Amino acid sequence: MGLDPKQVSLRLDQQLLRFMDQLEALEEKRERLNSLIEQGWFSISKARYSMGNKQVSALQYASEMEPLVHVHTRILDNGVAEFQAESTECKTGNVKNCSVAVESIGPNEEGLRRRINMKQKSIQEENVAQKEPKKSTAEREPQGTTKAEPSEPQHQDPLKWFGILVPQNLKQAQGAFKEVITLSAEIATLQNAILATRTEMQTHMKEKQKILIDPIND
Amino acid sequence: MAGRGKLIAVIGDEDTCTGFLLGGIGELNKNRKPNFLVVEKDTSITEIEETFKSFLARNDIGIILINQFIAEMIRHAIDAHMQSIPAVLEIPSKEHPYDASKDSILRRAKGMFSAEDFR
Repeated sequence: MGLDPKQVSLRLDQQLLRFMDQLEALEEKRERLNSLIEQGWFSISKARYSMGNKQVSALQYASEMEPLVHVHTRILDNGVAEFQAESTECKTGNVKNCSVAVESIGPNEEGLRRRINMKQKSIQEENVAQKEPKKSTAEREPQGTTKAEPSEPQHQDPLKWFGILVPQNLKQAQGAFKEVITLSAEIATLQNAILATRTEMQTHMKEKQKILIDPIND
Repeated sequence: MAGRGKLIAVIGDEDTCTGFLLGGIGELNKNRKPNFLVVEKDTSITEIEETFKSFLARNDIGIILINQFIAEMIRHAIDAHMQSIPAVLEIPSKEHPYDASKDSILRRAKGMFSAEDFR
């Protein structure tokens, strides 16, 4: 099967242009990533300055950690791996874990309660005690308390490792690094695409050289 | 997109790790093995290399982020990794700005235009 050298050259040119575009996109994303990381460090340093030297360090990391970010990977038709970062922080499915449980305080029944004299109260209590059979202890739950559910892994905000009232700078650092994580997934995809294009180009170059060296056989 | 997805691992200095953990990538699995390594002055190259290799071997890790100056210490291990998953990304560190000429991926891409490719 003879391959036209012109066609191969044209295909190579197209691939080279794609390769250059990909490199350009990678450079842009890299620049953005580097500046975001720098911003993040700067914010961490500011937070450390206001909180104290030892307050923002590896010593504050929690003993239990659950990832809030996952990367979904899939292999495309051309063999390139695609990465997509997904934050599981406050998805609809995880609302139970993310939202702060609201404690119900006060009596369960609605409406106004009437104050009554102590005398009347004691008489009423006696009457009630006579009418009602004894309730089991399980039925007599104290009002206003909620049972703690057996814990699924809790998605705790890592900011809380460093205290309840953390400075704004630490939140800014968190925001910057979250963006870095999304960007790093994009860069990983791009890097893979670049390597795939490179391999394709090498294959085509070898093909072309074969044709040029041995045009009669092809 | 079904399934839980993979993790992002970090090998870096304290501030880099702190930043990424703030971003929410940190995990301690059932065996209490973390997906990060804080490299300090006294961390040996062997430890870094072993951690890197253990991250490569784990199938729940999708991306490994590593400070470029640490990547330089274990360059042979990084260059030997040819699979697309997990992807290895070199990032700058506080004291060492990012140098594209040292990046393993860009060096491979640059090799595209070397004399060897035209043979």
